[in-house]
Amino acid sequence: MWSDTTMHVQSSTRTPAVLDWLEVLSGIGLVLFIMGHSLFVASVIFGASTFNGMAGFFENTGLAQVGGPIIGLVFLLHFVLAARKIPFRAAQQSVIWKHARMMHHEDTWLWLIQAVTGMLILLMGSIHMWVLLNDLPITAEKSVALLYAGTWLWFYLFFLLFVAMHVAIGVYRAGVKWGYIRRENRARMKKYLYIFAGVLVAIDLVSLIRFYFLSV
Amino acid sequence: MDRMLTINIFRYNPQDPDSKPHMESFYIDETESMTLFIALNRIREEQDPSLQFDFCCRAGICGQCGMVINGRPNLACKTKTKDLPSQITLLPLPFFKLIGDLSVDTGTWFREMNTHIESWIHTSKEFDPEAEEERMDNELAEQIYELDRCVECGCCLAACGTARMREDFLGAVALNRIARFILDPRDEREEKDYFEIIGNDQGIFGCMGLLGCEDVCPKNLPLQDQLGFLRRKMGFFALKDLKRGKKKTC
Repeated sequence: MWSDTTMHVQSSTRTPAVLDWLEVLSGIGLVLFIMGHSLFVASVIFGASTFNGMAGFFENTGLAQVGGPIIGLVFLLHFVLAARKIPFRAAQQSVIWKHARMMHHEDTWLWLIQAVTGMLILLMGSIHMWVLLNDLPITAEKSVALLYAGTWLWFYLFFLLFVAMHVAIGVYRAGVKWGYIRRENRARMKKYLYIFAGVLVAIDLVSLIRFYFLSV
Repeated sequence: MDRMLTINIFRYNPQDPDSKPHMESFYIDETESMTLFIALNRIREEQDPSLQFDFCCRAGICGQCGMVINGRPNLACKTKTKDLPSQITLLPLPFFKLIGDLSVDTGTWFREMNTHIESWIHTSKEFDPEAEEERMDNELAEQIYELDRCVECGCCLAACGTARMREDFLGAVALNRIARFILDPRDEREEKDYFEIIGNDQGIFGCMGLLGCEDVCPKNLPLQDQLGFLRRKMGFFALKDLKRGKKKTC
């Protein structure tokens, strides 16, 4: 049934702006967490006891038990917010794929990499958190055993690469979108972010290798 | 200058039921200072009079000859063949309605866009044709002019991943136009009025920052900087507005 009553015209919604703020802020929060997490895992470089001491601190203060699920929720929130822009429909996927191939444009490819790694991180990050948080306390010994079991070494190799790519591209694009990376500093900032991704991969890789050859 | 160019051109006439979209190759000898505009005209004059493409000024001012040149949207009249390989592929601009071959209808979209964003100076002042024009600071006039150099060629929309996926996206051209009115002191619209138009997913919050627009704009407009400026401006306005709304309800 149609109504022809003239209604009061609502002013435009602030929702898209708020969602955009939440997307960038949750992203920045997760980037800071990832950096902290990489440094925490890197403590294994100084030996199993240093790593276990760090892990013990996080568990004794309840940070792992409470912080873990909170990070998981922020992680999910960030995905839901970012998903507003991800092409889930087949027609859109086909268009963006053809568009990227047509354009030969680095930043368009970077966005596609970010979208794909985002989906992979959602899956792999969930697995990682489930496995680790369901088997507290976290110890170097357990981590070593995990790396030697099945295909976990490959899982973590790809996972750390995907995370570094997503984080670096995410920081770059947040800077672009919010006007902090401008025309005049774009090339320089892009170079810094590639370096940042490289450093993140290097730290995680060194930690992984150290775990692999750790005598426990 | 003794190259033989192979120009592969998209051919399709939507008006002809027998026409099927296909690529057709034309061969043409390169001449001194040749542009794609010259090459296309020669092909039309010497090889195929049915070839459809748009041009008007041949000087990068009218924005008519936008097309996809070896994958990148650009103006044919500005593109020198010496800067391209001998194999050149030309496609019509995506996003816009195809008229035929390389010709697309940008006009309808631009007219609708300009109407939608109310692309004119909003003022309550009565215009007096006898009065001396209001003076403006030169630096500000130059800033406005810099954004006003847009020729509405549509290359930024054709290069925009968001616009390709979402037809309701306003694109860099409309957002740049709004930025131009924000700068203009003669326009009496307030922040909330601009927010009504672009403070949404069809406007600035739909932009994903892929920078296709920035990297292809034939007029080298500072689109990246304008998009960043608008997102911050509209983002902070929304926060201030929410705070004001909370205070009102207290």
